[in-house]
Amino acid sequence: MKKLEYSRVNETLYHETLPNGLQVFILPKSGFSKTYVSFTTRYGSIDNIFIPLGKQEMVRVPDGIAHFLEHKMFEKEDGDVFQKFGMNGASANAFTSFTRTAYLFSATENLYPNTELLLDFVQAPYFTEETVEKEKGIIGQEITMYDDLPDWRAYFGTIENLYREHPVKIDIAGTVESISRITADHLYECYHTFYHPSNMLVFAVGAVDPEEMMSFIRDNQAAKTFDQPERIVRQFPQEKMEAAVKEGSLEMDVSKPKVHVGIKLPALADEGLEGLKQELAYQIMIDLLYGKTSKFYTEAYEEGLIDESFSTDFTAEEGFAFSVIGSDSAEPEKLAQKIRDTLEWASEKFPFGQDDLDRQRRRRIGFFMRALNSVEYIANQFTRYAFNGMNLFDTVTALEALEVKDLQDVLVPLTDEKARTVFTVKPPANGK
Amino acid sequence: MFTETRLTQGVRLYVRRTEQFKTLTFSIRFKQPLTAEGASERAVLANILEDSTEAYPSRSALRQALEGMYGTLYYTDVGKRGGYHYLSVNAECVDDRLIRDEDITDWTVRLLADAVLRPNLEDGVFKQQIFEREKQTVLERVRSIYDDKTRYAQQRLLTLMRPDGPESIRATGEEVFLEALTPEKVMEAYRRMTSEDEIEIYVVGAVDEEAITASLKEAFRFEGRVPAVQPEKADRGTGREGRVSEKQNMKQGKLHIGFSTPVMFGTADFPKMQLANGIFGGFPHSKLFMNVREKESMAYYAASSYLSRYGLITVSAGIDADLADKATKLIDEQLAAMRAGEITDTELSQTKAMLANQLREALDSSRGQIEIFDQYKDLPGGFTPEGWIAKWEPVTADDIREMAGKIDRQLVYLLSGKEESADEKA
Repeated sequence: MKKLEYSRVNETLYHETLPNGLQVFILPKSGFSKTYVSFTTRYGSIDNIFIPLGKQEMVRVPDGIAHFLEHKMFEKEDGDVFQKFGMNGASANAFTSFTRTAYLFSATENLYPNTELLLDFVQAPYFTEETVEKEKGIIGQEITMYDDLPDWRAYFGTIENLYREHPVKIDIAGTVESISRITADHLYECYHTFYHPSNMLVFAVGAVDPEEMMSFIRDNQAAKTFDQPERIVRQFPQEKMEAAVKEGSLEMDVSKPKVHVGIKLPALADEGLEGLKQELAYQIMIDLLYGKTSKFYTEAYEEGLIDESFSTDFTAEEGFAFSVIGSDSAEPEKLAQKIRDTLEWASEKFPFGQDDLDRQRRRRIGFFMRALNSVEYIANQFTRYAFNGMNLFDTVTALEALEVKDLQDVLVPLTDEKARTVFTVKPPANGK
Repeated sequence: MFTETRLTQGVRLYVRRTEQFKTLTFSIRFKQPLTAEGASERAVLANILEDSTEAYPSRSALRQALEGMYGTLYYTDVGKRGGYHYLSVNAECVDDRLIRDEDITDWTVRLLADAVLRPNLEDGVFKQQIFEREKQTVLERVRSIYDDKTRYAQQRLLTLMRPDGPESIRATGEEVFLEALTPEKVMEAYRRMTSEDEIEIYVVGAVDEEAITASLKEAFRFEGRVPAVQPEKADRGTGREGRVSEKQNMKQGKLHIGFSTPVMFGTADFPKMQLANGIFGGFPHSKLFMNVREKESMAYYAASSYLSRYGLITVSAGIDADLADKATKLIDEQLAAMRAGEITDTELSQTKAMLANQLREALDSSRGQIEIFDQYKDLPGGFTPEGWIAKWEPVTADDIREMAGKIDRQLVYLLSGKEESADEKA
């Protein structure tokens, strides 16, 4: 077991790669009553074309299958896994993103029985045609619930218009139609391909003894047999940097229009510290352009173009990156124009200097320190970075290494006019 | 949990020294009896106090200073509990020891005192321009509930059930009162808040208790006050009963069912009712989740909440609107089963373990510590987490049966799509 000290933030991380390839990380936090343990596979909604384990040919599986599989993992022959976590007083959950599926629990008692339950239920698939059919009703309602959420629709509508073919444009849960085609065989095929321990990571953080926990996980894994790991072959379409659709809109029963400007960005160029620096440069650049102290925000707020719903988002995973900026606005066209004008203004003559960078750097260092109060943040973000070849605990080092030049570099793709789309959710034309 | 110091009459300080976090958290809470007009005034006031101060007289000046102070968080908030409205002024800053080159804690205390005592005024009142903008912002926040159909349906349920009670008053106020506000009225609300409200100040983090107490006392110097008390209403109001259906353009049906119960926060039966609610629909192992979602596959979510200050339990489920009657029947059956004493030892022990875990877990954040302590601290006998968990331990299946008998369905509310969208259903 390796011990990694991060003295700047006063944390110690323990790490081991088990013989079956599973990565295990443990971070004890003193003063905490709970332990948060997540078990994550590098498999998400975008992994829809791949060569199944032991086969030769690429297959394409129905949209929404990673999320469907996540739901179905909780049902076993002898009942529902939530019931068992309930018996141990643990609160369990799971989520599926573009690139990951995570299973987790947090508990203040019975740490080892809960850890065993987590490892065992994720490593023992049980799907039948009958239980798969039954789940379609539940997920159908989940999809319908999201269909009624205007903010979600606006966000996904924007991403959908940015991409021509890349599966990031597909809603994580799929559609009622696409999930209707899912079978138990599909689930087994995806499971065996993507849930091999060598494609997975365990993170335990909070009230935990690292030696004890490591040896518990080691023994649990040693008692199971797995196939030899194989390199997973996934296929993604080539995308031009141009946005697929420049403008789109949707009518929904909302009190005020919502408008989002999406910017398609090149995937991060590097892994490791350089990749992390680039990601932070994007985040800081977006803050300088649109954050609460920006010229844009001050003016737009005073002019009443934006309200408390204003948000900026930057997403970067292996193979894709994008930013979405938007707000509820009574004047969506005017706001979209102002968001675009800000990009033109910044690209004409770089408007930021060392002071701006220093202030944002300090803010980000503080943000990072504060985030380390949250065991959920640590486990989820560490896992995300690890799957992208980066280390969460390099954040302060990366921030300190940033220069104005790094900000100038990321401004170039941000201001590429062809990479933009505008998406609006409008109230019905004929009133409510 | 917290060390309590009475600073003056009506003003108390609660400090919790802990090394658990990398930040220090401050929360100053102003409490007054809840009315729709008062809530409206204070919602705008909260926004104005968050915008700027005399020392940092613009939004961007204040925000830049906060960024420079390692992203110190500063925000105000409004909320309600029972018959009271709360305006809170909050900050969270990085523990000085992690940064070394600054005195962030002192700066943050000064900022909080500035925000509360030295606001951004012009000729003795809030600036017209800031007032207008923040009034608009709050109005938009109040209106935006329409876009979130689940929240909208829950608010409609409460309004229909308790039209005249604090249950249905929103902490962010109401359009009609917000529209009528002036800078003078909000200024007057500010004066009353700082001179008449009951005040509770919370601090959590690696602080020296004596030093922080002295520094807050020095920074604020509040005058003593006799806090106003909300008169108890004997009549709980006559709201709607039976069924109400409303239509909007949407796909999913939002089924919200309201139950009333005489078991209120702080009564002897209160811990038992917390458990009863947990068994009914509080967790993924509960009767609602297991039957409405897992067995019948009718919903993605089906859950209950216990609004203990108001004597209400509400159930919400997102369903296909055509199945509303079936879902209502199924929900009724779960309660009927509880009334018939159909509660297994497993359900009981799971719910006890989950409630205990939920409480202990919530204490792993500084805000959670403040929220939970603040909620429970006035209960007779004081509050410790383990002491409260011990109250759930002896509760039996028979107690749950008895509690289920004290839950009465009052109103079934369904918000669903208009007829023309029926063909969209798969």
